Amino acid sequence: MSEDQERKILHSDFFTEDPEPRLIAGRCKVSGNWTFPPYLADPVSFQDEIEHVPLPKVGKLHSYTIVRRSLPDFPVPFGLGLIDFPEQKVRVMAQIEADDLENDLTLDMDVETIVGIVRKAKDGTDIYSYKFKAIKK
Amino acid sequence: MSNLRDVYIIGVGQTPCGKYPTKAAHVLGREASWAAIKDSGIYARDIEIGFCGHVYQGMGVGQRTLKDIGLVGQPVINVEGACGSGTLSFWEAWRTIAFGQHDVALAWGVENLSKIMSGGPLPLEEDDIEVALGMSMPGLYAMRAKRYMDEYGVSKETLAKVVVKSRLHASKNPIAQFRKETTVDAVLGDPVICDPLTRSMCCPVGDASAAAVLVSGEMLNKIKRDESRLPIKVLGCVAQSGGYASATGLTCDPSENVARTSQMAYEQAGLGPEDMDAVEIHDAFAIAELIVAEALGFAKKGEGSKLIEEGTSNFDGNIAINPSGGLLSRGHPVGATGLLQTVEIVNQLRGEATGCQVPDANIGLIETMGGAQPAMDGITCVVSILGK
Repeated sequence: MSEDQERKILHSDFFTEDPEPRLIAGRCKVSGNWTFPPYLADPVSFQDEIEHVPLPKVGKLHSYTIVRRSLPDFPVPFGLGLIDFPEQKVRVMAQIEADDLENDLTLDMDVETIVGIVRKAKDGTDIYSYKFKAIKK
Repeated sequence: MSNLRDVYIIGVGQTPCGKYPTKAAHVLGREASWAAIKDSGIYARDIEIGFCGHVYQGMGVGQRTLKDIGLVGQPVINVEGACGSGTLSFWEAWRTIAFGQHDVALAWGVENLSKIMSGGPLPLEEDDIEVALGMSMPGLYAMRAKRYMDEYGVSKETLAKVVVKSRLHASKNPIAQFRKETTVDAVLGDPVICDPLTRSMCCPVGDASAAAVLVSGEMLNKIKRDESRLPIKVLGCVAQSGGYASATGLTCDPSENVARTSQMAYEQAGLGPEDMDAVEIHDAFAIAELIVAEALGFAKKGEGSKLIEEGTSNFDGNIAINPSGGLLSRGHPVGATGLLQTVEIVNQLRGEATGCQVPDANIGLIETMGGAQPAMDGITCVVSILGK
């Protein structure tokens, strides 16, 4: 876990906010295979020539749930989803935001990368990281 | 692999599943281990090596367990493979005998969860990036359930029927944690943990231990033991860690690991899913029974619900699934689970089930699936096939 001066940030190496929120994946220069997060060596070529490349901002919601019981650091309810980036063959698990969690989420809908509060620290302060938000049609 | 030696289970033992917050793990472990040794009819001193599966029980629990039954000096290996820890310890015991290093081994699994938690999702590894973002096992299985139900037109009622069948089996099993039958309405009326999973569609927090004594075929004929106890042969035993999902496409689905591992176990045994009479599978959540039954070849993809709807997976159906009550109702004391499953199948094959006896059970299968990892199809999967 790393921190910047304004916010406590989790997994800061795995996303960028400049110029917009995107996840940072690994792409093997030999096989072209993508992974999220970047691995030390590529599971297809077993080479370590990995470049760090942003994923598209928008992914597809493969599945989701509304979590109503969780560990104490995670105020409930919150959305949890599997987000696909089909072109890169990458699936990411992350929290999902929606204006109306009960009614706005549907399978295969577009969701966009954002940065927001994902949990509480032991001292009660908010912790930020990447998450996704439902894009209303 | 053709040079593998024959391996037999000659004794099994288990404790009841429940909440025993004042009972230390090694106390549970020694009860099950001693019961297995007594059941085998061998002298405890004949045990050459021990493998103890657990997840949360701390340093040296295996050694602490065997010390209390007079067994010291021999190697004891503590084995961790998430929810597959118990069967991973069984696999270790099987392979050390199959590959000729030892002749008599004890495998046991133990967990006392109620010492560390009263309820809610299992505490997972904070260094896992998804866990740090709120992933829990109920959440993961809930997402699998939602997608599966949408793709194959499966209703919440069918998921509830998995629990109804599980409770029915467990109601006859004196070691089960939940022994009261339930109804579809009651299951659906339970609080939602992670949509669509209600509380009774999730396995409970509980404690137990289970154990098995394994011997080589040569030792079976040499060792002084109770000849009235039927030895059960290990026909296949395979352990696999999760595979990279992103290397094979968009799959993070443990059923792929189950399919891969079980195919290897079937090949080792020279058998197929159609040969199985009784199986204990990893139904940590109601959806898992459907998905895993398909992965094991008991139903076509998307048709696992037929086993429930048609009663085929009842203890007296064509393929008896979880006659013990499974993880949902017998219980899921994490590290003990794989051995509890193994003990159940041994008892079934001996015709000595503590609960629902599967008629004419000759061959049985145990499947355990442990944990989750980002972009991987699970942490550990173990599949064993046992026969008379």
